[in-house]
This record gives sequence, structure tokens and C-alpha cells, in this order.
Amino acid sequence: MIQCTCIVQQGQSPDLHETELRNRLTSFTTTAFDSDPHFNWVRIPPGNGFTAGKPSTSSVVSMVANRPLSAEHREQYLRELVALWTSATSSSVDEIVAVIADPANAKETQNAAIHLQHRAEHP
Amino acid sequence: MPLYICNTVPNTLDERSKERIARDITDIHCAVTGAPEIFVHVAFFEDSRMVPLGSDRAAVRGTIRKGRSGEQKDEITHAIQSSLDREAGITERDATVTIAETPASWVLEGGEIMPEPGEEEAWLEAHKTTHSQGAQ
Repeated sequence: MIQCTCIVQQGQSPDLHETELRNRLTSFTTTAFDSDPHFNWVRIPPGNGFTAGKPSTSSVVSMVANRPLSAEHREQYLRELVALWTSATSSSVDEIVAVIADPANAKETQNAAIHLQHRAEHP
Repeated sequence: MPLYICNTVPNTLDERSKERIARDITDIHCAVTGAPEIFVHVAFFEDSRMVPLGSDRAAVRGTIRKGRSGEQKDEITHAIQSSLDREAGITERDATVTIAETPASWVLEGGEIMPEPGEEEAWLEAHKTTHSQGAQ
């Protein structure tokens, strides 16, 4: 599963948008990562979100990839994320922050795998 | 990015306190890092699982671009602690402020990959049509 956190301004995104966004994000993670998303959908109550110290209209979509990504692939996926978000809502690109992180312990996992492989080959 | 999540015990902050603390956090981040304020997002929640409260009245977690010094991060956390105390009477003993880091290259904002810390000017120059207000 791909952890996908969406932080939106409550009331800004109608239910219709949320359903459409979930569908498109599911399609995105299936295509990009061959895995379904696990959503954490967070709504910021009115009067509780600020950008530049003023009431905010920004949304954040953040996910953790299931493999380390090259800069080129990450940028391509980030642009696809923003494109799907703007096309499913009335938001502009200036109102979206998109984040795709590498798996937190990818390096450690890789090192552990190498260590285990080494032990298997050199018992 | 940065995104500061402020989680509190219910009914700790009124609307005016939130506005002031959001303004403070924005000013603090920009003063310490030199980043333009249009990058700074602040959101308030009550009893949120995103930033666990533990036994505190308030917990603030800022996710900022990787590359700031330890001194800068300390300065930000201490100044936010002071703001919570000044605006809401939440003392340092009742609040936890933490900073997490994300590589700038992992973030797309304003339609572009975020600039590395210190390279904001060139980024804003390239985006002055859409960000001219916030860059001032």
C-alpha cells in the first residue's frame, strides 16, 4: 500500500471532488507504484489554515513511494499528481503542494538485504 | 513547504490566537531562514493523531526543506515556544515543538520543484508572475 495523505481546506473541496480525487489517486498509484493507496484524508476546519500568514486555500498531497525514485521519475510523478488534482478540482497549481518521499528505511532495508544475502552466500 | 502543524487540546486556542500564532510562525520561519512567506503553511488541529500531544497542551511539528543548520532549527523551535506562551499562555513545559526535514527535490509547489534552501531568489524570479505578492 502507498501511504497517501491529503490535507485539504474543509468546505473548499466538495464531496464530488473528494470522490473524484480518490479515484484518480488510486489510478495514479496503481500505475506509478503498482499498489493501491492507503488514504489519510485530513480536513482543515475553516479558519485553521494559513499560507503566508493569511487564510489559506492550499492543499497538500503527500505520498511515500515503495521504492527510491530517480529525480526524473519523481518530477514526472509530481507533475502528474498536480495535474490530476487541478483537473479534478477548481484549484490552481499555486494552491497545491505535492510531495513524494522515498521509503523511510529504504537504504536500511537494502543494506539488511545485502547483509542477509552475504550471510547466505558465506555461511 | 514548510508546513507547520499545530495540534492542541480542544478549546486551547481561539480564532485570534490562531491568527497571531500563524503570523508569528510565518515571520519566525522567514526571519531565520530567509525564505519567502508564500512558502509557509500553518494548520491548526485539535486532538489530531498527526502530531500526538502526549501529556502536552500543544504540539507543533514543522516540516521544512532539508539543509537548514542546527542553530536555525533551534532558533525556530524556541521562537515558536515563545509565541505559544505569549499568545496562549502555553509554557515551554506544556508544549513540544519539533522540526522534520524533507529534501526540496521531493516537493513540487507553485507548479515547480522547490528550490534548495538559499536558492529561493532565482526560483521566485522565474515565478514572479504568480508569486510576486508573496515575494515582497
